[in-house]
Amino acid sequence: MAFRSISRRFGSRLLTYRSSSLASLLHSHATSFGFQEVKEEEKSKLVGNVFTNVASSYDIMNDVMSGGLHRLWKERLVGKLSPFTGMKHLDVAGGTGDVAFRIFDAVNSVKRRALRKVDEESLEETQIYVCDINPNMLNVGKQRAAERGLSDNKSLVWVEGDAEALSFDDNSMDGYTIAFGIRNVTHIEKALAEAYRVLKRGGRFLCLELSHVDIPIFKDVYDLYSFKVIPNLGELIAGDRDSYQYLVESVRRFPPQEKFATMIADVGFEKVEYENLVGGVVAIHSAIKL
Amino acid sequence: MYRTAAKRLLGAGFATSRLLRLPKPRPTTTIIPYSYTSPLCTSSSMGHTESPIGNQSVNLNQPDPTSSSTGTREGTRRDESSRKPRAEFQEEQARVLAASLRHVPRLGWTEEAMIAGSREVGVSPSIVGSFSRKEAALVEYFMDECLQLLIDRVDSGLDLQNLIPSERVSKLVRIRLEMQIPYMSKWPQALSIQAHPANVPTSFKQRAMLVDEIWHTVGDGSSDLDWYVKRTVLGGVYSTTEIYMLTDDSPEYRDTWAFLDDRVKDAFDLKKSIQEAKYFAQDIGAGVGKSFQGLMNGVMQTMSTRGRSSAF
Repeated sequence: MAFRSISRRFGSRLLTYRSSSLASLLHSHATSFGFQEVKEEEKSKLVGNVFTNVASSYDIMNDVMSGGLHRLWKERLVGKLSPFTGMKHLDVAGGTGDVAFRIFDAVNSVKRRALRKVDEESLEETQIYVCDINPNMLNVGKQRAAERGLSDNKSLVWVEGDAEALSFDDNSMDGYTIAFGIRNVTHIEKALAEAYRVLKRGGRFLCLELSHVDIPIFKDVYDLYSFKVIPNLGELIAGDRDSYQYLVESVRRFPPQEKFATMIADVGFEKVEYENLVGGVVAIHSAIKL
Repeated sequence: MYRTAAKRLLGAGFATSRLLRLPKPRPTTTIIPYSYTSPLCTSSSMGHTESPIGNQSVNLNQPDPTSSSTGTREGTRRDESSRKPRAEFQEEQARVLAASLRHVPRLGWTEEAMIAGSREVGVSPSIVGSFSRKEAALVEYFMDECLQLLIDRVDSGLDLQNLIPSERVSKLVRIRLEMQIPYMSKWPQALSIQAHPANVPTSFKQRAMLVDEIWHTVGDGSSDLDWYVKRTVLGGVYSTTEIYMLTDDSPEYRDTWAFLDDRVKDAFDLKKSIQEAKYFAQDIGAGVGKSFQGLMNGVMQTMSTRGRSSAF
């Protein structure tokens, strides 16, 4: 895997050009459902249908499509976050709980407990909120928690909510993650603004998302795999070709790494950086609220 | 090396301003403690354009892991932006690290210390996750602070006039090492962090800067090979003294300072010894050459007299 971390900044001479192209980009994202054109109001309903359909086989499909790599990507995401005890964390669009469980484990691992120094503030309890707009995905997550014996654990809280209008207080979260979810949001800038709102000062924003590949030959291989193999896998395993067709198309429609970094900075975040994994198939964007 | 070069370039009028203010692009700089630079300091290496509407800009990182060169724009941007001034990341990082140092004797050079530090400053501990090479960031910040303190001590009138060079070097190294005394219980940890392959480039550079600063203060005007030799030797003296200090129990580290004085004397003697060895070699060469020449002359004379007689 080639890991590369790059940050960027604004240049004023490109400002006017960029803002108009950004506005049109956001509008086109809001009205696109994959390669189809849809009304803005309808997009969230259509996305909702997709996830209601795929919820039960979501995890299996992730494993098959990425060859198990998605686990490594999520590990890296949590590694970058550096969770600590007493943390208040929000995982948005994290329905089935992959990221949340990893954070929980990181905070409560035996090694951590052994190394923990007595510190009054760490007696505060870690709270990990998992927010998802789709109740089916949340149910799968709750089920998995039960399987691990965590259903009564007060640290994990499952909340139904919309990324564009979170029900949490301002300045209440130490960390905010969204893994493979921001692509499905109708208005990306609203989700980012909400993220900025709920984070405390010094809070960390991390976004793991499928992104754009620029490497010449690899790009074609990836396109071939996306458009030929994945919808067929969807049909075979999940019995739903259309949802996975939507998935690969929505990846292409999502803004590329640099553009997305610009959008994050626009909302007010500092130290915006991104790291490409697998040549750009996946990118982790990180930022801090100051 | 920067300070001697600058003095040479800019002449005697070069104010003894902070080494760290030189407007030079440094691809692998260490974290620069911004509390020491003036608010209006700009680095020409950044050369960014101001956004007229005062939009929030994204920090620029040169592709380097220490990510320290981003914060230089803060001064001008704060002056010109119409928004309320926002703390830049570099400043916050420096503040958090400074606060963390107070927790190091208790918690070590660890994330816990930095989390405690960030809580003191009033920032979410999540910010620690974004420091590159976390514990190394803390150690490097401390090294920079110490170098800055040393420069400050020197500038604010440290009396070196009455001392011979070897004593000056001793005094400066002692001042620098004394700054580490509060952290001595956890210093081995700091050394091991500095020795990690990922951190070696920065720690090496910091030590090189320190050694250069000391030689510069002592009044070193050397160039070419001698410059490197001097710094290498002093680097060795400094490191060995540092390690000796780790296991020294004597009151007020008396044994360490005695060790230091001996090593510095050896180093200066070494210089003299090398010079003596050079002269010695020259003499021997001259001696051997002379006797060889004498021999050849003798042979020539004998042959010529024999030749005359045999020609009879």
